[in-house]
Order: sequence, then C-alpha cells, then structure tokens
Amino acid sequence: MTGNLLDGKIVVPGDVFSAADENFKLVNKIKLGPGLTTNQAQKIIVCKSGTLRYKSPDTLWVDCHQQRYIPSKGENVIGVITSRQGDFYKVDIGASDQAVLNCMSFEGASKRNRPNVSNGDVVFGQLIVANKDVEPELSCIDPSSGKANGMGILSGDGILFTISLNLGRKLLSPDCVLLPELGSHVSFEIIIGLNGKVALFCKSAQQSVCIMNLIKATEYMSNTDIMKALNKQFF
Amino acid sequence: MDAVVGQVCIPGERLSSVELCQAGPGTYVRQGYVFASLAGLVAKEREKSSDLPLVSVKSKNKAQSVPEIGAIVTCKITQITSRFAKCHIIAVNNKTLSMPFRGMIRKENVRETDRDRVEIYKCFRPGDIALAKVLSLGDASCYLLTTAENELGVVVAHSDEGVALIPLSHNEMQCPKSFVKENRKVARPQSEHLAFPER
Repeated sequence: MTGNLLDGKIVVPGDVFSAADENFKLVNKIKLGPGLTTNQAQKIIVCKSGTLRYKSPDTLWVDCHQQRYIPSKGENVIGVITSRQGDFYKVDIGASDQAVLNCMSFEGASKRNRPNVSNGDVVFGQLIVANKDVEPELSCIDPSSGKANGMGILSGDGILFTISLNLGRKLLSPDCVLLPELGSHVSFEIIIGLNGKVALFCKSAQQSVCIMNLIKATEYMSNTDIMKALNKQFF
Repeated sequence: MDAVVGQVCIPGERLSSVELCQAGPGTYVRQGYVFASLAGLVAKEREKSSDLPLVSVKSKNKAQSVPEIGAIVTCKITQITSRFAKCHIIAVNNKTLSMPFRGMIRKENVRETDRDRVEIYKCFRPGDIALAKVLSLGDASCYLLTTAENELGVVVAHSDEGVALIPLSHNEMQCPKSFVKENRKVARPQSEHLAFPER
C-alpha cells in the first residue's frame, strides 16, 4: 500500500498496517502522529477512529472527531477564570484538570499594578506547562518578549461557545474559506482556542448568534459546501 | 485500678497510674496515668525487684517501625505538582511497612545544587520508587523528606510503555524498548549493590 493510497482511508481502532509495505520500504523512519501507535512486531496500529492522513515523505496521522481537550504545551486556549488561590487563578479550559494562571502573567503586571481579574472572566492564553501528571499552566504573555500578542482578558459584548477540536483546527487552517469569506460580508472579531472554545464579538447579538450557527453548521462541510451555504445566507 | 496482665486493651485505654508502674513500649503517660497506645495484650515486667514494674502492650502484629529524623526511607511517588511531590513511605531502613505513611518532597529539597530552579516533572513521576531521607516529622498530614544527596533519588521508574527505565546519569534514564530518554533525579548506585561480571 503506498502512502498516497492510505490518505483519506477511514480507520477504526484495531486496524493494523505493516511498516514493511511497499512505499514505506523506501523510508527508514515513519513519523506516527496522533491516533497511531506501534507494537513490538513493528506494525502500525490505529487507536482512534477517523480519517487516516499521509503527508510525504514519512508522516502518518489520524484526523478524528474529538470534543475533550487534552492540554499540550504551546497551544493557545480560551479559558474561564473560576477561582483564585493565593498567587494563582484557576482556569477552566475544558480539560480534565483546571489550569493555573499566575497573577503576574499579564502584560504590564507588577506587584503594585495588579491586573483587574474577577471570577467568570474569559481569558485567552498560551499553555506553558502541559504534562499528563501535573496540572496545566497558562500564561497571557509571550515568555520571551513579555508582550501580550493578543492574549489576556477578553472583554466586550460577545458570546463564548464550544465546538469540536477538529472544527477549530479546520477554521484556523489557511485552506478554510469560511472566516475570510464571512469577513467580507460582516465585520466581527473572533478568537478560536485550540481547546474548542470560540469567543465571538459582533455589532449585535442577532449577528453573533447567526455567525455562531453558521460556524457550527460547517463541521462536516467542504470548502465548496461552505461557499454555497454563505451564498445562501447573504444573497 | 491496675491493669491485669494478659488483658486485651485498645489505644487510649487507661492502664495504670505512674505511681504504680513505669510506661514501657506501646504506652504513653498523660496527667499522671499510663495509657495504652496500641491494641494488644497488656504485659508487665519487673527489671529489678526494687523498681516499679514496666507495663507495656504487646501487639499481635509485629511492631511497625516509625520513620525517625535521619532515617532512609523507600517511598513511592503518588502525586506531583509544580511545588512538591507527594509519596507513600513503604519501607523504613529497608524494613517494609504494613501500612504506608505519607511523605512529601518539597521542590527545594530535591537536590543540593540550583535548588530554586528545580522542575518536579523532570525529577519524579507518579509511580516511581525513590530513596529519601526524613527531614522532619512534618505536619499532621505527611513527613517531610529530602533527596538532596547523591545516593538518594529515583531507584525504579517505568516508561510510558511500562518498561523499567535504565539509569544513564544523575538526571537521565532511558527506556530500553523505545530508547526515549526521560529526566529523573536518579540515585547513585552504591558499590556494594553493583554486581560486575567476572572477567
């Protein structure tokens, strides 16, 4: 089986591929992405159901539908502040553990100039510590420069809603036409967290709800379907 | 009000008064009376005929050794956070305990050098077995332990695949199956425990 033939194949957990197949013989090492693992007999085993994807020369992974977020270092996520414990805020990011956010991890924060943060605030930050044994840690500043780069408390009249992780990744990919096309018709501000949370700010509540429904509906749509849906909405 | 020899007693039971007996193992003294601190049988021994008899409680189970300050304990890491690692003390001075005590290794007590910039995730993981020394009796919840010595630290650790890691240096261990290197605060093996192949 060549790698290109594998791309787009629907797989379920338990499917086995042998690394000794044709195309892979040309490559010494195969990089296994999420959803794949290997066993002692050097066979590739699928652990998540979804679409198998292949990127030449040697990368394989499974695109799967997932709603539960697993924290990973370096990802930008949206969270809701739930409580304060001493020097830290506890933030709900939709993972199994609540993340901690240091009170000083905001732009321009110092011991005298404390940021004005209260319970229930929506915050956009980057995960700086994310392991399976420790609770994840969030930060609203870029560790190297100390600047916010768009992170911090999100304020204004808007909605916060949840989508599946793969839809979030799809919207953020440069191939997806939804957001640029939508932006040419309506003006809005959107922040997409890799944990499946989206914050949307629009001129009116009605517009916000309309755009939210549009985004949620594009879960299984290809680019052509998205263009059709947008044309129907705006013309 | 003297306790009868061979009688079963429970912790907290008043055995005798200080005027009649001396407090031995398994008992403690409060406000002039001797109370039992273990569940078991009351025993009385008289060392010298002139002295007061020594009252003690003999438990059916073997006496459990209690960690003292400076004892080397074997502990199993149960939980890690960014500031400390919590563990169960499973043996004291190589004597296995029937019930584990709880211990805590604070970030500052993991190693001697660079104590502030320790990352607990790179020193311990849940499930590791480590050798530590008791620093203090700590608070009501756990003993305070330290691994700030070359011979203290992680002894047995497993990788994500469940294979035992092989120590490489004082801060690295490697999985023999996937060859992934993991960071741990590794205990230096003592020469008497190493078996070299005969040439």
